[in-house]
Amino acid sequence: MAVSNFGSNHDRDGGTTHRVNESQLIARVIAGDRLAGRTLYDTHAPRVFSLAYRLSGDAEKAREFTQDTFIRAFARLSQFRGDAAFSTWLHRIVVTVVSNARRSEIRTSREVALDEASSIEAGAPEAEPDLKECIARAVERLSEAYRMTLILHDVEGYTHAEIAAILGVPEGTCKSRLSAARAQLRQDLAAFKE
Amino acid sequence: MDEDSFEEVLRDLPRTYNAPPEPPLDEMWTAIDDAHFNAPIRITRGRPFSAPAPWLAAAAAMLIGIGIGRYLPDNTRSTATEASAAANIPAPAAETSAVADAYRDQTNHYLGQAAALLISLPAQDGSPRTDSTFAAKASDLLVTTRLLIDSPAAAQDVKLRSLLEDLELVLVQIARLQGDKHKGDLDLIHQAVEQGDVLSRLNSAVATTQSSE
Repeated sequence: MAVSNFGSNHDRDGGTTHRVNESQLIARVIAGDRLAGRTLYDTHAPRVFSLAYRLSGDAEKAREFTQDTFIRAFARLSQFRGDAAFSTWLHRIVVTVVSNARRSEIRTSREVALDEASSIEAGAPEAEPDLKECIARAVERLSEAYRMTLILHDVEGYTHAEIAAILGVPEGTCKSRLSAARAQLRQDLAAFKE
Repeated sequence: MDEDSFEEVLRDLPRTYNAPPEPPLDEMWTAIDDAHFNAPIRITRGRPFSAPAPWLAAAAAMLIGIGIGRYLPDNTRSTATEASAAANIPAPAAETSAVADAYRDQTNHYLGQAAALLISLPAQDGSPRTDSTFAAKASDLLVTTRLLIDSPAAAQDVKLRSLLEDLELVLVQIARLQGDKHKGDLDLIHQAVEQGDVLSRLNSAVATTQSSE
């Protein structure tokens, strides 16, 4: 029996043709069924990884965030009530995992920056950044709430209703955050000459 | 940057902003599997199928063993030997091997349970209580069957897939057993098992997976 690639039943959009419905799968994972766990993982991992990468911009971190998300999700699976879609519940976890890590990174980098501020020498002048770099920097400068909303909506294509459920805020707040994020992005990119 | 250019920037964001690489699914799963399913404290399933006692599983295993020895054609035995030899070749990546091992165990376990169920199935219509025990066990196995059908193992192994699909049909019938309501269904189930040569194919599959351990 060919088992070497047993665990890789997936496609890029998680579009596997499952015969078992999600609530059955969840019940089986809670009962300790590894195969059901892998099936549930295969369905959702590509999207979770994609979101983790978009939010972190680092493949290694995205891998860690995805693992962390599933480990937490499986451990708390019995708490999933099914009020929202399982994917929404899962994406809420990944957003929390990434946000916590970013907060911790920002704190650390501030401390490092203060320590090193006196010893930094002026290096060679940086080359003029291209549009892609300018966009990346402008997105990075947004506040966490704006950045998250912009990435979820304009990059990953979530609807306002989905973002509201993931971030736990009213839909109106999502819309106003997106609008503000775009305005700030536009202002930051205004000076860019093609 | 004018309005149109900015609109274009927004439209291109999915392509230009942190475009994700292909996710390392197997590598990530190995860590998740290890942390969750191999954790020292685990929630384990109860024994939903307690009626026909532990001796039945042992008897089923013995019958499978006898079946393997007596009924397998020579070419299957040589396939098993080849599979065994192939199993000695080290896997390219440790985690792939670990994942494969975990799922091979799962498949083995499943095949053993399916065989035990089919072997222990009474020849004639039983009491409603017995029927409901078999029906409950069949429902449980049905979910695993469907998960396995959707797995790449089945996609890559035509024989296994065909066996799983036949088992799915048989298990659906057993899961519907309800005493008097379905009188005569057991005959049909036994016919389906016999016509599809399900038990000897099950034995073959068990032999193949065990020899690759």
